[in-house]
Amino acid sequence: MIRATQLVKTYGSGELSLTVLKHLNLEIQDGEFVAVVGPSGAGKSTLLYQLSLLDEPTEGEVYLDGIKTSGLSQAEKTLLRLHKLGYVFQDYALLPELNAIENVTLPMLMQGLAESEAKDRARHALGRIGLSDKLQNLPSQLSGGQQQRVSIARAIAHDPHILFADEPTANLDSANGQRVMEAFRDLHAEGQTIIMVTHEEEYSRHARRVISLKDGAIVSDTRT
Amino acid sequence: MHRLFALKREYTRAIRVGWFLALRQIKRSNKGTTALIIFIMVLTFLNLVVVSGLLVGLISGSFKQYREGYSGEVIITSAPGRDYIENSPALISFLGHHPNVTAMSPRYTTSAQILGTLNDNPEKNERPNSIGARIVGIDPLREEAVTGFSRFILSGSPLAAGEEGAILIGANLIKKYSSFADANIPGLNFLEDVDVGTRVRVTLTSADGRAVRKEFIVRGIVKSKVDEISTRVFITSNELRRMLPVHKEQVQEIAVKTDAAYASALVRQSKQFMGSNAARIQTADEAIPSFLRDIEATMTVLGNALSSIALVVASITVFIVVFINAVTKRKFIGIMKGIGISPRAIQFSYIFQALFYGIAGSIIGLILTFAVLRPYFNAHPIDFPFSDGILVATPAGAAARVAILLAVTLIAGYLPAKLIVRKNTLDSILGR
Repeated sequence: MIRATQLVKTYGSGELSLTVLKHLNLEIQDGEFVAVVGPSGAGKSTLLYQLSLLDEPTEGEVYLDGIKTSGLSQAEKTLLRLHKLGYVFQDYALLPELNAIENVTLPMLMQGLAESEAKDRARHALGRIGLSDKLQNLPSQLSGGQQQRVSIARAIAHDPHILFADEPTANLDSANGQRVMEAFRDLHAEGQTIIMVTHEEEYSRHARRVISLKDGAIVSDTRT
Repeated sequence: MHRLFALKREYTRAIRVGWFLALRQIKRSNKGTTALIIFIMVLTFLNLVVVSGLLVGLISGSFKQYREGYSGEVIITSAPGRDYIENSPALISFLGHHPNVTAMSPRYTTSAQILGTLNDNPEKNERPNSIGARIVGIDPLREEAVTGFSRFILSGSPLAAGEEGAILIGANLIKKYSSFADANIPGLNFLEDVDVGTRVRVTLTSADGRAVRKEFIVRGIVKSKVDEISTRVFITSNELRRMLPVHKEQVQEIAVKTDAAYASALVRQSKQFMGSNAARIQTADEAIPSFLRDIEATMTVLGNALSSIALVVASITVFIVVFINAVTKRKFIGIMKGIGISPRAIQFSYIFQALFYGIAGSIIGLILTFAVLRPYFNAHPIDFPFSDGILVATPAGAAARVAILLAVTLIAGYLPAKLIVRKNTLDSILGR
């Protein structure tokens, strides 16, 4: 479970300061598939960065599985991200020198798994999203859709509590976008908690809960 | 204890992931760039080893020539204030029966006046064409066995065993051949119009003060960068003994050829045999004048100074290479931190890459030094006026320089990686 209370994020200071999140409260239970939507500049990605511990809120608290994260050191946050969170970035964010299976293996090696076991799990994760035949391909040898699926495999292979996805379909055509969303739907069906930021209404329909942001505040929170 | 265990586990994982990343980054990086960086590291290594090695080699080459061309591994000379090595026949016999002595050359030496133009009645203002020099009586066969004396013949031919009436003259004593002839140094005289086939007259002073004269035909001119050869004249020992019959069995020098590793032991044994005052018994190294040792030390300091500059250049090169590499991959460093890869693991990956460049450069440098350059310079020494310069490179010295280079590389790889890795994770991912 993840909970945010009175979350404020302000960039800059003085007259030039810009408050992107305004005393936002939010709670997401295990197993939920949440889409965060809203117009450009609403604060969607900023919210995701705070929840996923990639950024520090100016005010407020984020609790991850009951752990108050504001007092944690950078090293402790890195460790939490490694063990509890998974990320899918808009631009795939695969490491160019690592092939598909190596990209997926990397976080598990950091967790301390033996290389052979990590590779087995990576192979399994890539198999789940239909990339068993692309294990040895470098990112440059994969299409955008394939790269995003490798990114998903990397995010889920170590069984994270929460999977964060920041505009995962933004750089994809509609067919590949659909495939990514189908992968998310399958993962959710297996119990994976997913928090996805998207500005495309079509994809937000796949989520079971849609949180709409506008000017840094939640304007609606609907469940289907 | 638990904290220590956690730290150990953290480092173990960081090193493992760092190695995993470094291996793949090296394997899949641009081959040309990698080759260029390694080439720079090779040059740095060579600069560390070869520049100082050649500077020291200038003097060591001189030592080597002195040992090979004159002293042998052990040189025995008259004790200070004595005319000859006391009880020489016993020492020669001792050395002759010693199992570790390969060869030896007893030498008779004394001062001589050599007259080049046989004109006994020069005009009033005419300077006689003569010089004072050290004359050495050698057994040509024994001398050949110790120093390979015939290789110093610049013109003419060597002495034959037991030959009489023939003389070899050092090149620096003859105006035509001397490198100092045009120096116009007051008091430095040369024989003029003397060459192979010329008749010269040698005048010695016997122990009772009587002048002993004899004419010789110049059989050859000898030249070496060892002064003891180029500034002396040589006749056979039989002839010199006949000219100076007093103490005719007592020699002034004995050059001994033995295994270099055994030289110190042989010196010790010879001193035990002779007593400490009968002769000056030294290894070739001990016999080298202290001013040459001082020059060698100076060259070493100079070499180290130049090497230090090379080391600074290498560290800056590695720093820049790793820094640029890390800066261009800042986004990916941010992503790695974002997905939970520890900053330490990322730093290790850059350290391993820097070490790879250092190790590869050192290995190639070592191969070039010991398999190519050292044998080459031994076979083709650099022709300096006072010595044949060789490359002095010892495995221990090279290992020390490898260690220094790797330490510098490690630091130069770590610092830029640390600078980039500690940037804000989100800023790195978003390229802010």
